[in-house]
Amino acid sequence: MEVGILAKLISLISGGIDSPVATYLMIQRGVEIVAVHMDNRPFTDEKNLDKTMSLVRHLQDLTGTPIKTYVVPHGPNHIAFARNCQRHLHCLFCRRMMYRIAERIAQIEGADGILTGESLGQVASQTLQNLMVINRTVKMPIIRPLIGLDKVEIIEIARKIGTYEISTLPGLCCTIVPKKPSTAAKSGDVLCEEQKIDIGTLVEKSLAGMHVFSFETL
Amino acid sequence: MYSLLKPCKTSAAYEAIPREHLNLDLDQSEEILKNVCTIVTNAGILLIVNDRCEVSIHKDGRLILKTDSQEIASDQAGRIAAWLEGTTAIRKHQQGRSSGMTKSDRGR
Repeated sequence: MEVGILAKLISLISGGIDSPVATYLMIQRGVEIVAVHMDNRPFTDEKNLDKTMSLVRHLQDLTGTPIKTYVVPHGPNHIAFARNCQRHLHCLFCRRMMYRIAERIAQIEGADGILTGESLGQVASQTLQNLMVINRTVKMPIIRPLIGLDKVEIIEIARKIGTYEISTLPGLCCTIVPKKPSTAAKSGDVLCEEQKIDIGTLVEKSLAGMHVFSFETL
Repeated sequence: MYSLLKPCKTSAAYEAIPREHLNLDLDQSEEILKNVCTIVTNAGILLIVNDRCEVSIHKDGRLILKTDSQEIASDQAGRIAAWLEGTTAIRKHQQGRSSGMTKSDRGR
């Protein structure tokens, strides 16, 4: 199918296993992709950014389609939430910020929705209750092609398309994840906590600090 | 101060576990460490400094040392311990980590 016929999506892509698989599946469905990587440094290391860039390059080569890539600083957002808000909700604040920023980039790019590698119940932030709280962050459609797959099935696809070897290279996991993250957050609690933060200013600062990489510069 | 140095599950860093249960005051730790290394950020629940390598210092004293060199990690953990040991930034619980005591017991 010709790329871009169906839709244009903003893919939230990390250096992990799932998001490159989700991205690949949607490219195969004819979707044009713009990648957004949220840079969690200093709570991760530079290896995660390197892995992400390698994954994007690999997907470009594999599918023969250019993938414009935004890298957005996310560390300052983590600091704001860690200093001011309840710890157990941190992963929800983090993901909601990602979605807000992805939506803004979607508006810049004229994209139709947001694509993620989330699958139900895989980690604390991906329970049905938490996904509902995350969904309410934006008005755009959120596409989750892996939602019903388990990790074994996702890894199988990752191996088949050659992203697994890149995704499993060394890279530091996020060090600001709480010990006991909420698995059933209430929307009201999250909204209440977010009122302690100037979310609009954080989004603007994130967008002001982002870098864009085109096919040629990757 | 640190008895265990082990690679993180991703092999991208080392983790140093304190020999005893600790409670670090990260603001005081920042005040002390800013004289001897670079403060990357103090997120309130986590202090990140840079010396021989970048180190995330948790309130419970756990260190994540961002290096793939065990020698650098070990040396860096020793330096952090030496800088903080005996200061007001560090409070030790009375029993060891392996005592199996409950949280409320440790607080007594």
